[in-house]
Amino acid sequence: MARVNNWQIGRDMSYWYPESRPKRQFAAIFDTNKCIACQTCTLACKTTWTSGVGQEYMLWNNVETKPYGFYPLGWDVKLLAELGAQQWKGDVYTGRTVFEAARPGERALGWRPEEYDYAHPNVGEDDCAGSIEKGAAFVEQHMAWFFYLARICNHCTYPACLASCPRGSIYKRPEDGIVVVDQGRCRGYQECVKACPYKKVFFNPMTGTSEKCIACFPKIEQEQQPQCFVNCIGKIRMAGFISRPEDANPDNPIDYLVHVRKIAKPLFPQLGLEPNVYYIPPIHVPTHFTRQMFGPGIEKAIAEYRNADKDLAGLLALFGSSESIMHRWRREGDVVMGLKEDGTEIVRVPLKEPVHERVAYDASLKVQRTNCP
Amino acid sequence: MQLDSRHFSVFLALLLAACSQGGTVAAPPTEIAIQPCAGTLPADPLDPRWQAVAPFPAPLILQDMVEPRLLETSTREVRVRTLSDGARVAFHLEWDDATKEDLPMPASFVDACAVQLPAKTAPDVPAPQMGEPGRAVEIVLWRASWQAVVDGRPDTLQAIHPNATTDHYPFDAASLPEGSDARRAMQLRYSPARALGNDLAGPRETPVQDLLAEGPGTLAPASAHTSTGKGVRTANGWSVVLVRAMPPGLAPGARTQVAFAVWQGAHEETGARKMRTGWMPLFLEVKP
Repeated sequence: MARVNNWQIGRDMSYWYPESRPKRQFAAIFDTNKCIACQTCTLACKTTWTSGVGQEYMLWNNVETKPYGFYPLGWDVKLLAELGAQQWKGDVYTGRTVFEAARPGERALGWRPEEYDYAHPNVGEDDCAGSIEKGAAFVEQHMAWFFYLARICNHCTYPACLASCPRGSIYKRPEDGIVVVDQGRCRGYQECVKACPYKKVFFNPMTGTSEKCIACFPKIEQEQQPQCFVNCIGKIRMAGFISRPEDANPDNPIDYLVHVRKIAKPLFPQLGLEPNVYYIPPIHVPTHFTRQMFGPGIEKAIAEYRNADKDLAGLLALFGSSESIMHRWRREGDVVMGLKEDGTEIVRVPLKEPVHERVAYDASLKVQRTNCP
Repeated sequence: MQLDSRHFSVFLALLLAACSQGGTVAAPPTEIAIQPCAGTLPADPLDPRWQAVAPFPAPLILQDMVEPRLLETSTREVRVRTLSDGARVAFHLEWDDATKEDLPMPASFVDACAVQLPAKTAPDVPAPQMGEPGRAVEIVLWRASWQAVVDGRPDTLQAIHPNATTDHYPFDAASLPEGSDARRAMQLRYSPARALGNDLAGPRETPVQDLLAEGPGTLAPASAHTSTGKGVRTANGWSVVLVRAMPPGLAPGARTQVAFAVWQGAHEETGARKMRTGWMPLFLEVKP
């Protein structure tokens, strides 16, 4: 085991390989407050990548309803139970990561979902599990809560799948940090399936190899965002590249939201993988839940988001506004712009969309029209 | 407990009898003898000619040297018989395994076995754990899942899940005629392991694979696949024949080393998680 630095947990930790960061690291931000679980992202991914024989059950992208939804079943709670209660002290995680808690003979703490665990995505998870007091539906504040969690591979800085592969069949692309399984080399031992805490590596029973999200790297190479990003009708996602905190560039949309404003948080940072998909936490969920899921700083992130100034609101308005990767951004008054790496403008978006109100009845065509707010 | 004189006499008589027989009981073999075989090598594990060969009981030990390790013993012994026709050598492996596992699925693994020899026949053999850099070992691997396909299990999802239904695959499009190159190309597009020529990913025509390794984690397909094999399920486990080329330089009367490995799918054994032997002397008998 080597010692590496994981800024998300505020300390050095043990990892199977020495620290070796890519030239630039693919990263993404998902705004959970905008997701409506329409599953358009899921289908965009499914039709693009996993329509083959043996891939039927695979959802490289999925959206599940928290706290009762899982794909595969219990993916997070099972590992948290195995890991046991752990502690943060401020921004420093003092508990054990999955690498530090590995059982003898293993490289990471993990478990293997069985086939049945993948069998019923989304079924029943929107049912309210709590009891609702009579009349609660009619008061302003909901007595029960849920939110939608969209998930892809986190293309972690310290991937457990990569660490666990005894053959070195999994690697991080040095040019963008995307984690891929070499399909020519994989022998289907499923060590990666067991080790990935997010359960985003899938065994293909027809080829006998394991497969996973590739962040649509052919699109990334063309400076375009992945399929699940550009098809998102809720415009909850933005793809780009992230710097280490000490190198944060406020002009970079990802750096700005993660490092400068600190409103986007990693998923289960305590597991130690330094995942590179960041979530703007749901504002209406009890923070004792979101703190466990997204780490410290949740309250401040929510306060920032609720009181978004023009810069923050402007950058959030850029989400879903272009298929191109926006390496930089700039706000001028009430307009925000997404820019290429060299500063060339890709798109400009008003902070506030203009409202066009149509008359309810078009006399010329003799038709009624509906206005959507 | 104290022995009275009558019991002591009986005990002494038994002890003397046991000692007197000691000279006649054959000592357990210390090396595996490749016996000559007249005619074609028996490729079927149930061929009666195998029963004429005394089995060598090779004790299996845990692979607990490199991660991921196996830390709980499963198969304790593999019984080995060998025959050669001078050009090829056949290994007959038999072991106990209560559960037949031949379907690779998520969190489900298949039964398998392997024979390993040094790539070069020399007194100084490479490390028994998959060889070492610059000093390769040759491995012949048999998997129960491949045997099932060779024995007729179709390469379809329904062979794994008989009740599975699927609405549409991209290669089912009407514009792609059945059997056409265009349809095959579309199938490969959604099967990257097959598209890349990963030879364990495609439909199998043989239940064995020839492999080379130069240390743990370096297993790679051999440049040519010349070995053959067949496995059958027995009442207690598996009986498998693996036939490979005679190790170059192994002349009658000469010795090399051989190692074996067995995987029990029900015990989640795969890859490095296996029961294995160290090197064992392999001796090519001189034809009488």
